[in-house]
Amino acid sequence: MNTIPIIIDEKKLEVDPGKTILEVCRENEIEILTMCHLKGVLDIGACRLCLVEIEGINKLLSACTTKVAANMIIRTNTDRIKKYQRITTELFFAERNHVCAVCVANGKCELQDLGYKVGLDHIRYPHLFPQCEVDTSHPWYVMDHNRCIMCTRCVRVCNEVEGAHNWDVMNRGHQVRVISDFNSPWGESVTCTSCGKCLHACPTGAIWPKAIVQGQLQKNPGMINELVEKRKMKL
Amino acid sequence: MDKRRIFISPVTRIEGHANITIEMDDNGNVSDALFHVNEFRGFEKFCEGRMYTEMPTITPRICGICPTSHTLASVKACEMIQGIQPTYTANLLRRLMHIGQNLSSHALSFFHLSSPDFLLGYDSDPAKRNILGIAEKYPDIALKGIRLRKFGQELSERITGKKIHIMGIVPGGMAYPLTEDNRKALLAWIPEAIETVQAGIGIIKKFHEENAEMVASFATSPTLYLGTVGPDGEHELYDGKLRFMDADGTILQDQLLPQQYLEFIAERSVNWSYLKYPYYKPYGFDKGFYRVGPLARLNVASRMRTALAQREFELFKQMNNGKPVHGAFYFHYTRLIEALSDVEDAERILNDPQVTSTHIQHHGRWNYEEGIGSSEAPRGTLFHHYKTDETGKLKMVNLLIATGQNNPSMNRSVLEVAKQYVKGDDIKEGMLNRVESTIRCYDPCLSCSTHAIGQMPMVIEVKDKRGVVLKRLERG
Repeated sequence: MNTIPIIIDEKKLEVDPGKTILEVCRENEIEILTMCHLKGVLDIGACRLCLVEIEGINKLLSACTTKVAANMIIRTNTDRIKKYQRITTELFFAERNHVCAVCVANGKCELQDLGYKVGLDHIRYPHLFPQCEVDTSHPWYVMDHNRCIMCTRCVRVCNEVEGAHNWDVMNRGHQVRVISDFNSPWGESVTCTSCGKCLHACPTGAIWPKAIVQGQLQKNPGMINELVEKRKMKL
Repeated sequence: MDKRRIFISPVTRIEGHANITIEMDDNGNVSDALFHVNEFRGFEKFCEGRMYTEMPTITPRICGICPTSHTLASVKACEMIQGIQPTYTANLLRRLMHIGQNLSSHALSFFHLSSPDFLLGYDSDPAKRNILGIAEKYPDIALKGIRLRKFGQELSERITGKKIHIMGIVPGGMAYPLTEDNRKALLAWIPEAIETVQAGIGIIKKFHEENAEMVASFATSPTLYLGTVGPDGEHELYDGKLRFMDADGTILQDQLLPQQYLEFIAERSVNWSYLKYPYYKPYGFDKGFYRVGPLARLNVASRMRTALAQREFELFKQMNNGKPVHGAFYFHYTRLIEALSDVEDAERILNDPQVTSTHIQHHGRWNYEEGIGSSEAPRGTLFHHYKTDETGKLKMVNLLIATGQNNPSMNRSVLEVAKQYVKGDDIKEGMLNRVESTIRCYDPCLSCSTHAIGQMPMVIEVKDKRGVVLKRLERG
């Protein structure tokens, strides 16, 4: 296959066309922050953490949904990008009710890790403190909307990998919520297979098993891509 | 002349934030005193709607001093909801962690917060009447106290990796086992810890001897007592049943299940404090004041579980011919007898061959809608009561905290000591320190952590009843 030349952070690379900037960066050990990206399911560019600068284009583009093109000059770690990453992270924390100290995912949370990575020491925006439902109706799992960041990894894994499409999204703006079926309690779902893939896909403590408490949570999001690859191989 | 009011705000060298108001009559005598707790936390309300299994993680955040007691009361309530029991080893590890917290708290109360009064004097310079003042004049004692607290915290850290807001106590047992290396490291602390506690006992006994009159007359109103005891009435902190005793030593109720607490305890609110007033139900609000904590636990206990502590316990019991000892000052002594028992008990547990077993958790799931758990926090008996729906979501949370149960008695003790020491127009700081120290006897835990020395200035204002300041004393 023919390769194309690109430059990322002053580094000259020859890459396969058709790949996204994120894929190329990951292959070349260039760090890009992500939350909504999950290997094995389609990218949607929702979280806006993977924004990069491309010379000749005024606006920032998401690395997960932008494909490389010949002679692209890309920058991933400018002050402008770092500023937006910090703003985005602060907005995640300000939008719903994230209390790491008492969260079941404390120490095993991608949002918490992100906070450390961007050096989050305070949040400049007023917290919205919305009243969010904790759905405990499923016999094995809990869905806590307080801790959901609307990455929709659960929605995509349920649809694309499990094929159940139990999860979907309703409303817009701050009112947006992940819903089970037509917004019924998860325990009453007629589509959920209780496979638990959404739990492994969830980057925070929004979906977790009832049987465990803080310190016992084990999530394996890499398992999703392994399943996808094994299916391709018809194993 | 108008009635005058003295306002002590904040009360210092306690865990949390509180004020005291002292009202004086025309002749300069104390007519009333009120102990106000001006913090509002709201845990009972905002926990509603959460999964019951989250409570052992949420409730330790109530307090940075006694998080383990909260976790234990909470997991016991969860275990009642699931209908399961922890494993033998898990019980040993929980006991160790609970001992660690009790030791750390008692060391803090005695060496850091109260010993400045005993060693430097009630009327000494307020700027130096703290642990730093002790470190300057008695560096050896300060270091011992700090290291005893460190040992207590290591008991948690070496099991769960965290010193304060511990993780790892889970419904059905423990999430982490104790390694052999950590067991040995903890065992190495025992001789030093025993020596330190005995040094503390020496300090308090000397103070008793030198200030016999004050100790004997310091807040001595009789009350009822509540504490946890083992099957034979022995002193117990982690897992036992409840005993109520009256002021003369008659056992009113024995071997009560913690689950029966509502049959014997009722609460009433007052309009001048966020802390409620619990009382012994059969005696009613006026006569049902009871106390909890180390003094209560030793008053209700028939014996201690360990040898050295038993020897001290017998001396304590002789003080009132086997009847309950009422003086609030004796909280300090009983706290140290308990600390001695803690260290000896830790040694016993660390030598148990099962303590490093990895069989540490039984697994369960939601089975019942209601769970009640209790444990003996350093400051007294603690109850957690949860009701859930059929999915495990909390519908009702009631937390009966040790300090709350001492609240009515603290109030009465404050009035008693204020009447004894605060007189006339010339109010001196030392007089008010004695009133504050009444509160310190109870070692109340009013919030979630200790405050730093030097950041809690005290302002005392003498006002007339229209609020005009007649006199103002400051320290800070």
